[in-house]
Amino acid sequence: MGSTYAIEANDLRRTYRARTGWLKPKRTEVEAVRGVSFTVGRGELFGLLGPNGAGKTTTIKLLNTLLIPTSGTARVCGHDVERETRAVRRRIGYVFGGDRGLYDRLSGLDNLRYFAELYGVPPREQKRRIAELLDLVGLAGRERERVEGYSRGMRQRLHIARGLLHAPDVLFLDEPSIGVDPVAARELRRTVADLAAAGTTVLLTTHYMAEADELCDRIAVIADGTIQALGTPSELRRRADGRRVVEVEAYGVPESAVSALRDLPGVRETAVEARGALQLLTVHSDAHVDVQGDVLRELAGIRLGRVDSREPTLEDAYVAIVSAAA
Amino acid sequence: MLAVGTLLHAKQMSRSPFEVVLALVVPVVQATLAVYLFRSGGEQHRLLEAAVGAGVMGVWSSVLFGSGGAIQNQRWQGTLEMIMLAPRRPVLVILPITVATGLTGIYALLATLVWGHFLYGIRLDFAHPVAFVVAAAVCVVALGLFGLLLAATFVLMRNANALANTLEYPVWLVSGMLVPITVLPSWTSPIAAVLPTTWGARALREATSGGPVWPSVAVCLAISLLCLTVGALALTHVERRARAAATLALA
Amino acid sequence: MKTLRLMTVGGVIAYRALFNWTTPGMFIGTLLVGPLFQLLFFAYLGRQLQVADDRFYIVGNAVLTASLACVFGGTMAVANERRFGTLGHVLLSARSRTAIFWGRVLPYAGNGLLIAVVTLTVGALLLGLRVPVRAVPGLLLAMAAGSLTCGFFGLTLGALGLRFRDVWVVSNVSVALLLLLTGVNVPASGLPGWMRAVGEWLPITHAAEAARRIAAGDGLAAAASPLGQELLVGAGYAAAAVVLLKIFEVESRRRASLDAL
Repeated sequence: MGSTYAIEANDLRRTYRARTGWLKPKRTEVEAVRGVSFTVGRGELFGLLGPNGAGKTTTIKLLNTLLIPTSGTARVCGHDVERETRAVRRRIGYVFGGDRGLYDRLSGLDNLRYFAELYGVPPREQKRRIAELLDLVGLAGRERERVEGYSRGMRQRLHIARGLLHAPDVLFLDEPSIGVDPVAARELRRTVADLAAAGTTVLLTTHYMAEADELCDRIAVIADGTIQALGTPSELRRRADGRRVVEVEAYGVPESAVSALRDLPGVRETAVEARGALQLLTVHSDAHVDVQGDVLRELAGIRLGRVDSREPTLEDAYVAIVSAAA
Repeated sequence: MLAVGTLLHAKQMSRSPFEVVLALVVPVVQATLAVYLFRSGGEQHRLLEAAVGAGVMGVWSSVLFGSGGAIQNQRWQGTLEMIMLAPRRPVLVILPITVATGLTGIYALLATLVWGHFLYGIRLDFAHPVAFVVAAAVCVVALGLFGLLLAATFVLMRNANALANTLEYPVWLVSGMLVPITVLPSWTSPIAAVLPTTWGARALREATSGGPVWPSVAVCLAISLLCLTVGALALTHVERRARAAATLALA
Repeated sequence: MKTLRLMTVGGVIAYRALFNWTTPGMFIGTLLVGPLFQLLFFAYLGRQLQVADDRFYIVGNAVLTASLACVFGGTMAVANERRFGTLGHVLLSARSRTAIFWGRVLPYAGNGLLIAVVTLTVGALLLGLRVPVRAVPGLLLAMAAGSLTCGFFGLTLGALGLRFRDVWVVSNVSVALLLLLTGVNVPASGLPGWMRAVGEWLPITHAAEAARRIAAGDGLAAAASPLGQELLVGAGYAAAAVVLLKIFEVESRRRASLDAL
């Protein structure tokens, strides 16, 4: 175990070539990942956060050997992902969200038995290991039913059990909580936290802020194929430091008033979100400027609801980072 | 309504590269098989008959897999529920599908003859050319109507293609498309007598090599009209049952 | 030992996961009744045309019936991974690809053997063909060789199916071509030279020949040469399948060409 890092990514790039047209083939190139570097320590829970199409899944597939980087290198547990595929595969598990990727006609148990065989779990340990995992993900008792009858949440838990069969050192979780109900999502987060606590390195992609905030030791925000910010959740939150957020509930704010708000001294960004009859105005400002009074003055004559001035959250920081990248 | 439906379904089928390639290649293979078999048997003079027989086999395959497959496909696409929702009698909805399969099947017949002519030099001298064309048309419609009856049962079954895979050879065999019915065990003749395929194939054979074509054509038409009636009744019944048993949406 | 386990246990589970025709209705209809009628059809046709005797048709077609399950099965064994979205998870295995995929062929070959045996038994009973008892082991051997070769042939087609979308066209056409080119129905002497040459490289051709010699009471020694040829063809397809799978896997990592997710 020569390496101190579980994952090292060094200037990873990946271009997709697509051919459109049949008679006159036109080549289009899409750079999905353009120079991503980061390291994940052993036992760390690392989050990859970003909007759809930012390159999260491509990054994961580069790291788990399913794709070869166009350029750049990456190592998992010290093994090169391009050449030492076997060594890497022995040490990693891969779980993705959604309900594909299982053999529908087989029972949950048979799915696990098959992948236990493929992932090299010694025959004598298979039974015990599978029972353990079924317990862990809460599928014990349902394992003999065919997967086609499983609910989305159950499929998701089966995915996780499969990813853990061979007790991988590094677990890649690609948007595992997609389409999972809130209660199940909470259990999922607990499972992931337990795994990390037991020493498994986890690389998690998500676009649920709360999930990233609650779980991750460190987070990389990725947008447009590059890492825009990297740090612990509280460090990232500090990206929005020096800011203050004023939220105002109002009824019938004219567009002119909103642009007037934007021109106020000290205001950095404004956003309006319609919630039924009510509009929620969010005003980011420099922390040292108290804009609340100015804001209320601009909105004079408009019926207002609750007014709140608060510290920025991780979500505010994320929005700030991603919109700066755009 | 029927014509438009038939056209659209024929179009839909001819757009699937799968069906097209199968329809292009398989008749050639079957024609070749028939030609070489008859040559090996020293029945050189009956090559045209063999080609026609192989062609009718192709029509049957098309109807059989088309009717079963089309409904299965509609199911997969999730369109079966939508078309059954149409405020029409189920017959009018399904019939275009099965006639369209007959229509694409006619291609198999033509292909076999054309390939037979160009590759193996079969001379296309029919005893009654006009009767042949009429018989071919009747045969396609008749098989389409027969397909309707099949479709009625296929709608209910989740594994419609199990039945389809099973029925290909028996019908080829029993309706005497290449093998004369007379050499088969006698218990098969009642079955042969009620199959429209038997009479369709017979009419075509008689038009090819001489014989009274029209009686066979008439019987073929009569049986197929019977198929239409029974099929229509069955479909109405089947629709109710499918709604009760919830088998429309199952993929 | 471990590899053997991967091939057998893994193969059987994958068979249940990927084979479309395991429901009783499908199995009996498609794989037992259908082939039986195929045999009867050609046997009657052969009788009528007096191309060859019953033994030629019954034994040859019985061996050929194995091809249906094997060719389609082998195709499904790979191509259905795409349908379930499981290919990525299979490729993430650190174990030998060769063992995983070869193992998948075994159940289909077994299945094919079963079909061939049933078809031959029922066909022989219906048409009154007597097969000497001492020929039975040899016949089984020939059918097993044919089934295995067909399975590897199917696997090769399945591997192609990973790359090219409409693999079912290829399998359907292949099954139709096997009818024609293997000399099961048209005696090889009746086929033009190039068709015979293609047939030499297809599964079943040599197995059917071997089975006929054995059924005629010629003894295993007389059938040894075609049997060997059949196995050689099988080995060729086995190697081709593995090489293709390997190439496509490498290519997919480079160009993201498989929907591995």
